[in-house]
Amino acid sequence: MKPESEKYNEVLNLLRKSKPVLDSTDDIEREVIKRISKVNSSGLRLSGVLDFLFSWVYIGWVRRTLIAASAALVLIFIYQQAIILKRIDAISRQTVVTDKENLFTHSDEIAKLLMVYRNSGKRFPSKTITISESQMNELLESVKELQIKYKDLENLIEGDPELKKLVHKKLIENNNNNLNL
Amino acid sequence: MNRRSIKLIVSLFLILIVSCNEPETVVTNIVHTDGSVTRKIQMKSIEGDVNKRFKVSEIQVPLDSTWIVRDSVDVDKKGDSIWIRTAVKQFKNVDELNLAYKKDSSANKNVPRQAGFNKRFKWFNTEFRFSERIDKQLSYGYPVKDFLNSEELLYFYSPESLKHDKETGPDSLKFRALADSIKHKTDLWTTKNIVSEWIGKFSDLTAGRVGKDMTRESLKARQDEFIQVVESNNAKFDSLWQNGIILKELIGEENAVNFKAEADSALGSVTKYFLVDFKDYSLRIVMPGKLIGTNGFIDSSHVLLWPVKSDFFMTEPYEMWAESKIPNAWAWVVSGIFIVFVLSGVIMKIIKKD
Repeated sequence: MKPESEKYNEVLNLLRKSKPVLDSTDDIEREVIKRISKVNSSGLRLSGVLDFLFSWVYIGWVRRTLIAASAALVLIFIYQQAIILKRIDAISRQTVVTDKENLFTHSDEIAKLLMVYRNSGKRFPSKTITISESQMNELLESVKELQIKYKDLENLIEGDPELKKLVHKKLIENNNNNLNL
Repeated sequence: MNRRSIKLIVSLFLILIVSCNEPETVVTNIVHTDGSVTRKIQMKSIEGDVNKRFKVSEIQVPLDSTWIVRDSVDVDKKGDSIWIRTAVKQFKNVDELNLAYKKDSSANKNVPRQAGFNKRFKWFNTEFRFSERIDKQLSYGYPVKDFLNSEELLYFYSPESLKHDKETGPDSLKFRALADSIKHKTDLWTTKNIVSEWIGKFSDLTAGRVGKDMTRESLKARQDEFIQVVESNNAKFDSLWQNGIILKELIGEENAVNFKAEADSALGSVTKYFLVDFKDYSLRIVMPGKLIGTNGFIDSSHVLLWPVKSDFFMTEPYEMWAESKIPNAWAWVVSGIFIVFVLSGVIMKIIKKD
């Protein structure tokens, strides 16, 4: 009686020796080659593009020139911005002349108002609002009126020492309340 | 021969500064990126007579029928009528504006003025410079900065409204003292300019015909002495000059006789320059983009402002300039992409090397 292991080896050898009969070996070979070449070709395309795009990296003088150009751009940018900021800072400390010299304020000059808006560094609120020209005029008129009334009030207070004292006291009280809050 | 005393010259000079027939005028130049300029002239007058009000010959800057004019009337605090005329014109470029100055028939036609515009591409930004310049009147005068310190200079060139506010504000005493000091120093400056200009003109007229003691250099060396003579004879200058007494004291009896005509002519020339008929106004400039530099003041509506007065351009050219910039967004993007590209290449090389 043969042991089980021997039987197993015999069967295995038998199977090894009896290879399957393939009727279309060429087709199989073609298919394998096709699949392999497909995988290789996609990898080649991407690396090819990258190699082409960055081929300059391997040419010493081109690499050095481009790095120098980049550094120069960064330095020019920093220099220009620093100079501009310094000059803007100097302007912000410049004397501001109040009214009188600016004689004419026609409320219907929307262009002038836009000009003022632009020159004020566009420091208006960033929210977008839609307002008609007439509404704008109305608003300006109101502001003007308010300013006149404010000036009148100021003059009234200045002319009456008791009233001035009272207003001053109220203002201090108001400030204290705000601080407490 | 035009003979006037120094005192008279200075007095008339000062009177001219504050002459009041002309309208109060504010000129605004709105500068555009292509170099075109929208010029707006705003005139205010209290003159009741419609024919006298806003006469072209009384206005401080060139104005003709090609301008779009609008009139309005306002009422001041006292209840008086204020007539306001606004004239607007679009100039294609500064050359067109300069042409208007050349054909000037306004009150200040005798004072040549010119505008300039410059656009500079600086990759990340484009910078603009606009200026209006008035050339100096005197050939041999002294710069006012030789007489005033920086604080006084700033005050000297300040708009009247600013001076008024300071002299009536909380630190009024300080600013009145400053104004007095400036007045004292500018009086001396004026006298020194008159003497210096006279020496210059006189030397030009007598060049090559005088001895060593009468050359420009030798006369210039005695300038302080001349000033003393002028100041000590200030009260009777006119008669003393006419009689030749002052001239004798200055250049000696013989020279005074020989060169009396030249001396008179030189004084006439000096008088002409000092009595320059100039009517003051204010100039404003609105620049495109962000303002980065100016020698002007900033008014309540954040617009650049300069007062234009005759003493500002007496001995030095008076240039009112402003510079601004507009960022070139495309240049920022291109530069960013380029830097990232180069950086990627370098990083890639380092990785592959490892």
